Amino acid sequence: MDTFTQIVLSGLTLGAMYALSAIGLSLVWGSLNMLNMAHGALLTLGGYASFAAITQMGLPLFAGLLGAMAVGLLVGLAIYAAVVRFMLTDPAFETNIIVASFGLAIILENVILKLFGAYPFTQPFALKSGLYIGAVHMPYQNLFIIVGSAALMMATAWVITNTRMGRAIRATAQNREGAELMGVSVNLVFAQVLAIGGMLAAVSGVMLSSITTLAPTMGYDPMLKAFIIVVIAGLGNTMGALYAAFILALFEVSVQYMLGVRFGFPALLLLVIIALIWRPDGVFMKPKAQRQ
Amino acid sequence: MPDPLLALEDVSAGYQGNQVLKGLSLAVPEGALVTIIGPNGHGKSTLLRCVSGLVRTTRGTIRLRDTPLHRLKPNEIVAAGVVHIPQGDMLFPDMTVRDNLLMGAYLPAAFANGRQRLEEIFVLLPVLAERRRQIASTLSGGERRMLAIGRGLMSVGRILLIDEPSLGLAPIAIDQIYAAIAGLKRSGRTILLVEENATRVLDLADMVYLLDNGQMVWQGAPRDLASRQELLATYLGG
Repeated sequence: MDTFTQIVLSGLTLGAMYALSAIGLSLVWGSLNMLNMAHGALLTLGGYASFAAITQMGLPLFAGLLGAMAVGLLVGLAIYAAVVRFMLTDPAFETNIIVASFGLAIILENVILKLFGAYPFTQPFALKSGLYIGAVHMPYQNLFIIVGSAALMMATAWVITNTRMGRAIRATAQNREGAELMGVSVNLVFAQVLAIGGMLAAVSGVMLSSITTLAPTMGYDPMLKAFIIVVIAGLGNTMGALYAAFILALFEVSVQYMLGVRFGFPALLLLVIIALIWRPDGVFMKPKAQRQ
Repeated sequence: MPDPLLALEDVSAGYQGNQVLKGLSLAVPEGALVTIIGPNGHGKSTLLRCVSGLVRTTRGTIRLRDTPLHRLKPNEIVAAGVVHIPQGDMLFPDMTVRDNLLMGAYLPAAFANGRQRLEEIFVLLPVLAERRRQIASTLSGGERRMLAIGRGLMSVGRILLIDEPSLGLAPIAIDQIYAAIAGLKRSGRTILLVEENATRVLDLADMVYLLDNGQMVWQGAPRDLASRQELLATYLGG
């Protein structure tokens, strides 16, 4: 029983980390068809912003989190203002932005390297102690991450589904010219989405670094996992990304326990390949019933 | 003649160096239904796309009263009061009928009364009420057209531009759509309507423009056009 509990708790924690990695990427890619290769760097930036606010400026823990959110939001806006708005009307936007955002990622990573050095740090934003579920110890920080990631995902999905801004974002993604004819400023929508995406990435970076370590390259692995989750869930399906994150993590942890740690990630990739052959548009996307 | 609500003066426009509109002028008085008819592919839709800013003019001016529309972006033109119901509908295919309609009330002036307006649209176009939770891409052609018109009516624009409302539809759907347009005219809305099927619009229109090869070749009252058999035969095959 304790083994089962351990697998479930480890799977939920890993799933929450995957979900956190995927939130911002899912929002930006799904709503703007923009694969933001700087997403991993934004995660890293959030982690370091919290570290600087708490350790170097002496701010309280949650002020550090708010500081990271502010930095993520501002850098998201800066990405829009400095790069995206000049490329928006280009027919090859979706391809060009991959290259441009990859360049931005390299710049951000090097700025962090210059400011903080390559030596890894411990994220100060971490809750102490924990509780026992049976014989299994569950740190409060892990619980905070599980609940926090689910809450962030649901809040993002709610905003996109139910608010005026969310409708404008979906409309712009589905028919940019049609959205303009409704009075939507496409430039404003892109700026909003990149700001929110940057903020979500920063929060994710703080939480992820709290149970791993803070290093300039910490964003690469979450970015890869986020990419897999977003594709599996279906582009723009934020709630689907939440389900996919937890299902894939539980699967990976189970394989690691039964066959060995080194088989976890290859088994995960095998599952992803099978899933994409079965449902190329994403496992959680409804099949399109287009009337002729 | 009082100042028109919408006035185009010497407008030229086109796509990638190919000139489609060649110095045309047009006036739409407030409260009138003005229709543009003419052969397929001669610039009728381009004219509406110029007014709503989707195609930039290369010469001439477009004014909504004192506002020069030709200098504005599409979203700014909508904010000025122009509502464009385009050919091909431009719906949001993965959104529900209700959400598509609510997008019509996106701007703050309309958003405040969006829920109330939604109920009014459901009364005016009952088929949309039945389909309110349905995804737009699963609607029939006639229902999609109704949705595009309903979405346009959700806004509080000063002029409605409607492009080919009967295109590709079954006769019963065309009847329903023209009944809705007639209702709009009775309520005093200003409408600029593009239509290839001249017989459908001559009973409704206050003024008719005949567009051929990017130029206005005739303008006048519908009854005058009905008596000009040579024009009908040359440009409209009838």
